[in-house]
Amino acid sequence: MAKFFGIDKVLSIFKIIKDNGGLRASLYKMYRMDELKSGTLIGTDKYGNKYYENKRFFYGRNRWIEYAPYYNLEYDGSQVPAEWFGWLHYKTDLPPDQEPFRPKYKWMLDHTENLSGTSGQYMPYSTTRPKIEPWIPPKKC
Amino acid sequence: MLRTTLIKALNGAKLSSKHVYVVSRASSAVAKKPEKIEVFIDDKPVLVEPGTTVLQAAALLGIEIPRFCYHERLAVAGNCRMCLVEVEKSPKPVAACAMPVMKGWRIKTDSEMTKKAREGVMEFLLVNHPLDCPICDQGGECDLQDQSMAFGSDRSRFTDIDFSGKRAVEDKDIGPLIKTIMTRCIHCTRCIRFASEVAGVDDLGTTGRGSGMEIGTYVQKFFLSELSGNVIDLCPVGALTSKPYSFTARPWEIRKIDSIDVLDAVGSNIVVSTRTGEVMRILPRTNEEINEEWLSDKARFAYDGLKRQRLVTPMLRGSDGELKPVDWETALLSVAKVLKNAGSSVGAIAGGLADAEALVALKDLLNRVGSEDLCTEHTFPLDGSGTDLRSSYLLNNKIAGAEEADFVLLIGTNPRFEAPLLNSRLRKGYVHNELELALIGPKVDLTYEYDHLGDDPELIKQIASGNHPVAKRLKSAKKPLIILGADTLQRSDGAAILSAVQSLAASASVPENWKVLNILHKVASQVAALDIGYTPGADKIRENRPKVLFLLGADEGSIEKSDLADCFMIYQGHHGDRGASIADAILPGVAYTEKQATYVNTEGRAQQTLPAVTPPGQAKEDWKIIRALSEIIGVKLPYDDLNEIRCRLSQIAPHLTRYGDAEDANYFKQAGELAKSVHSKLSNSPIDVEIKELKDFYMTDSISRASPTMAKCVQAVLKQKQSKY
Repeated sequence: MAKFFGIDKVLSIFKIIKDNGGLRASLYKMYRMDELKSGTLIGTDKYGNKYYENKRFFYGRNRWIEYAPYYNLEYDGSQVPAEWFGWLHYKTDLPPDQEPFRPKYKWMLDHTENLSGTSGQYMPYSTTRPKIEPWIPPKKC
Repeated sequence: MLRTTLIKALNGAKLSSKHVYVVSRASSAVAKKPEKIEVFIDDKPVLVEPGTTVLQAAALLGIEIPRFCYHERLAVAGNCRMCLVEVEKSPKPVAACAMPVMKGWRIKTDSEMTKKAREGVMEFLLVNHPLDCPICDQGGECDLQDQSMAFGSDRSRFTDIDFSGKRAVEDKDIGPLIKTIMTRCIHCTRCIRFASEVAGVDDLGTTGRGSGMEIGTYVQKFFLSELSGNVIDLCPVGALTSKPYSFTARPWEIRKIDSIDVLDAVGSNIVVSTRTGEVMRILPRTNEEINEEWLSDKARFAYDGLKRQRLVTPMLRGSDGELKPVDWETALLSVAKVLKNAGSSVGAIAGGLADAEALVALKDLLNRVGSEDLCTEHTFPLDGSGTDLRSSYLLNNKIAGAEEADFVLLIGTNPRFEAPLLNSRLRKGYVHNELELALIGPKVDLTYEYDHLGDDPELIKQIASGNHPVAKRLKSAKKPLIILGADTLQRSDGAAILSAVQSLAASASVPENWKVLNILHKVASQVAALDIGYTPGADKIRENRPKVLFLLGADEGSIEKSDLADCFMIYQGHHGDRGASIADAILPGVAYTEKQATYVNTEGRAQQTLPAVTPPGQAKEDWKIIRALSEIIGVKLPYDDLNEIRCRLSQIAPHLTRYGDAEDANYFKQAGELAKSVHSKLSNSPIDVEIKELKDFYMTDSISRASPTMAKCVQAVLKQKQSKY
């Protein structure tokens, strides 16, 4: 009956808002991520990013990440660690904690995001001689 | 060697046919006004003076005849044969550069015979010329390249049957400036003629004949002259190229900016070639009134000094007594604080490379805070009319005027190294115009003969009173000149010398518009500074002992830290030299290739430099720094851009913005009258000049002192001295 009149669509809005933690939290998520979705929480990585799945959406849109709150608006794809990358891109259906063959060694480095455009970016030093040689003031003895 | 006077001819001296030709031509020109004769070039009629060569007549019609050896400022050699043209009814083609035209000649510059002659000559030249254009520095501006494209044959008959290779000549080492690749030489002898005629150094010559002919110095010797760089421009091929410029850039990839040289007071016109934001080379620009088409070696090669020892960031002396780099804001604020605390106790000294805009801005700033202590580094006597009348500090008769003189008295100057291009004019007059010269001062090599009177300042008094043979010569001369060097005026008795010379100059009877009194300055900024109203010499600063001293590029050590005990020194300039090392604050300005600025040369001609490259680091244009400083202190100067400060310049002295014109000075008589009031005595110390030899010439200012090329030149001169030749 409700399905026939399409009221379930309206009700699902309330459900999504409820899943996202109320009206205030939902509005903040809209502002931050430009969309509002609800799904099952598959896992959380060590940086605090949360991974969701909702099979209601079509393939390609049904797995997503909610970046950790401290990134605020400064999130980007390079913040997804390698172990979750495969699940998020449908290379595997098993989240990292359930994958039996995932190797783990203590020499493996932590994931780092792409630092281009920040003060931490890689800058090769110049190998050419400077065109202008500045004057260096003589030191007093 | 080249001097051919009528007197010598009358004395029965041995004369070559060339000398007779010159003498006869000169005498006929005096005897009667010759009629013009008509000749036809490519069937176009043209009226020319008798004695005009075929090549010059063709040039009048705008027909250019190819040439290698001919150069309009050098004697005719006629040995390259490239200018062969057909003359009707002549069985053989004639060399256009050496053949004077005859009445009614019909010259064909485009006929079969002419073409065949040119192709033949070109083929012979190319047989003995290497095909190394891709690695040759002359590539792209090579006369041989251009003319072989335009006039050469489309194929070569040269086949190296014996695989013996082309003619090869060993390279010569003729100094740190000129690179020689003698295999490329086509024996045009332009360099030889330049060296002996213009530079006055008979070092170059030829040995051998035919295919064994070589250009060289006969013995292992450097070609050292203050004008040596010009043979690079003269060389039509890549045999003589610039050593500092070698393999750095190609002519089609460089940007050329017309500018002015500021390393001496002549103000030679130059072209600055830049690529990738660097000055690659400096070439002369033709200006008949100043440098003709020559350039002195310092102006041409000191450009690598612009890349070294530069001030690229503002600096402040910290509490530990070391200069530390700071940003502009900190530097300007702390300098402004010091200036504000000092009140009107501020002085300024302007150096030899300061431009008129910066000089005006600095003067306005200091006048606004209530100070009048603005000085230049180079002294000039203030007694008599001092610097109030322009006539007493200019080279009044102009540089080009020196050619026409018939008697020149040089006092305490060495024009060869203080103003090489003025000296080349004097030599031109000596060679072609029977100019006689006399010198009071140390005996130096001026590349021509002169009468050395001695170095006693009393001589000037003696000549002025008429008790000296030179006085008579000065009276009888139709166009006499007296050139007084800036070094003489730096002496304690400079005023007495100047007034004696002024009265001496006034006593000569000369045609109208001929000015006898000429002052030769050594630095580019002096005339502009005196025009604007700076006090010459730093004595005023020593007396007044200001709390803050502003050094605008003052690097010659006119004032020492010990002269002013607790004085805050601000240095503004482009090179770290003596001025910067004693300063408490450094504001980086820009050099002459990086700004649009006005300079007035020693004859009073205002000219402007144009920016060729961007300033290095955080350096800023000088007047803009002073303008920014004025706003922080609270005495804002009323100009915000170049046009507005140029307006201010023309308010003070309108000639400062009339670019290219030399403003004549007046009031010679009044200056002479005022000079009579000078009663100081001449001292007994002999008249001396600072630059006596070639080795002193190369490094005279902060740019050339920073230049490695100039340092190499000095080393070369010292090495040459030890050589037995």
